[in-house]
Amino acid sequence: MVDKDGLVVLSDRPLNAETPAYLLDADVTPYEHMFVRMNGLVPQSALDADATGWTLTIDGEVDKPLELSIDDLKSRFENVTRALVVECGGNGRAYFNPGSSGNQWTMGAVGCPEWTGVRLRDVLAEAGVRNSAVYTGHYGNDVHLSGDTEKDVISRGVPIEKAMAEDGVIAWAMNGQEIPALHGFPLRLVIPGYPASVSQKYLTRITIRDREHDGAKMTGDSYRLPAYPVAPGTEVPEEDMVVMTEMPVKSLVTFPRTGTEVASGSPTEVRGHAWAGDGDVAAMHVSVDFGQTWQEAQLDPPPNRFAWQRWRANITLPQAGYYEVWARATDQKGISQPVTTPGWNPRGYGNNMQHRIALIAT
Amino acid sequence: MRAITKAVIALALLAGPADAQARPDPMRDASLQAGTISQTDPMVALRAPTEAAPDGPAANAELGGLPDAPGAEETYYQCVACHSTDIIKQQRITDARWDELWQWMVEEQGMFEPDPETRDVILAYLKTQFSSER
Repeated sequence: MVDKDGLVVLSDRPLNAETPAYLLDADVTPYEHMFVRMNGLVPQSALDADATGWTLTIDGEVDKPLELSIDDLKSRFENVTRALVVECGGNGRAYFNPGSSGNQWTMGAVGCPEWTGVRLRDVLAEAGVRNSAVYTGHYGNDVHLSGDTEKDVISRGVPIEKAMAEDGVIAWAMNGQEIPALHGFPLRLVIPGYPASVSQKYLTRITIRDREHDGAKMTGDSYRLPAYPVAPGTEVPEEDMVVMTEMPVKSLVTFPRTGTEVASGSPTEVRGHAWAGDGDVAAMHVSVDFGQTWQEAQLDPPPNRFAWQRWRANITLPQAGYYEVWARATDQKGISQPVTTPGWNPRGYGNNMQHRIALIAT
Repeated sequence: MRAITKAVIALALLAGPADAQARPDPMRDASLQAGTISQTDPMVALRAPTEAAPDGPAANAELGGLPDAPGAEETYYQCVACHSTDIIKQQRITDARWDELWQWMVEEQGMFEPDPETRDVILAYLKTQFSSER
């Protein structure tokens, strides 16, 4: 947690920490405000910032398996830099009732740094993806909590169509610097729009499979949702749990900080970010009367697809007293964020309920 | 707050018809959800309750802040082999979920499985102190 600033630590081993909304105001999330989600322990290579001999293997359902050094990646493929949202699938878990197991993230397991690397698609194309390809499987060198070196901490994947979309990158830099130890040094995947667990840190291998991946935390209840709507607290049979894919549309109020005093009767700027799991956000609205009326906010286009989008609104609070600002993003399909938690699920994933802040008008 | 919530549940049981508990009612769930009220952050009241019961056992600093009750010591030494007590203290889940988590930790996560007696002590402790059911 060296140089992290203002994060709330949920767990110290493994390390998990989230960022209060007001510290996420920057368009590009700086290192000090980027949330930390570790499933295992940071590998020694990352702690030492030592990438000597690091290779990335591409194998499985490909014509030409590859073993690439970081220099190979940098020199043989087009380099790209993109702002991409990374959000934990369990962000918002704390609001599900009854509770579900895992870190009780509130709103802050999300960030949008700039990632530099190569397109995942370009590297897979070089290897020659076969028609039999169905799914990817990702591996890293982080250390299992049990200390068992044979165990993978986490090994997730995505449908091959998602991997071959243009958005995913194999990154070696975050915000123009080597990727910090907590965020996947020296190489990681960033596949936006899906739970961040598919964006493997400490990346060593991508294997192409002819069926859905069955690596660590792909099976059981991990990153899975019930195949049908269930009442809160329902025990769902394992065979009825399906892998979570696109994250739902979501937004944050990042300014002002909740609880701030503002002058009544004159315009006050509120602002934040909005993002969606299937691309860009279509519209943004805010309410200062508990959702009875909504006003449209200005919504900026993203610098690239899957970056979060800046929104701003000028609100006027009519008289002195307590107000809440509720924020609601709408995606390209016309689907908006719900007022309360969307469908309860056993592991508390995909909560995109509206963020609220308090403003005290004086 | 928790005491008030319990009183509300008790009243609902006394006042309602026999099927009041069995019939799902999102309005009842909404009224019971409020944990802590904050005048500066409306998200706080929307959280599922996680605060320790005010009349519950005190946190034991030597056992990673686990509530001091029968089973705390066994739980501490079993769990901290892999992870700190932080993740335990965040949980408010059902008995069935604790059973599943235990099985998952043994089968998938390489947890050492203690003798059945110790296992029962630990699971009883977890289900008592970190429950969404009581």
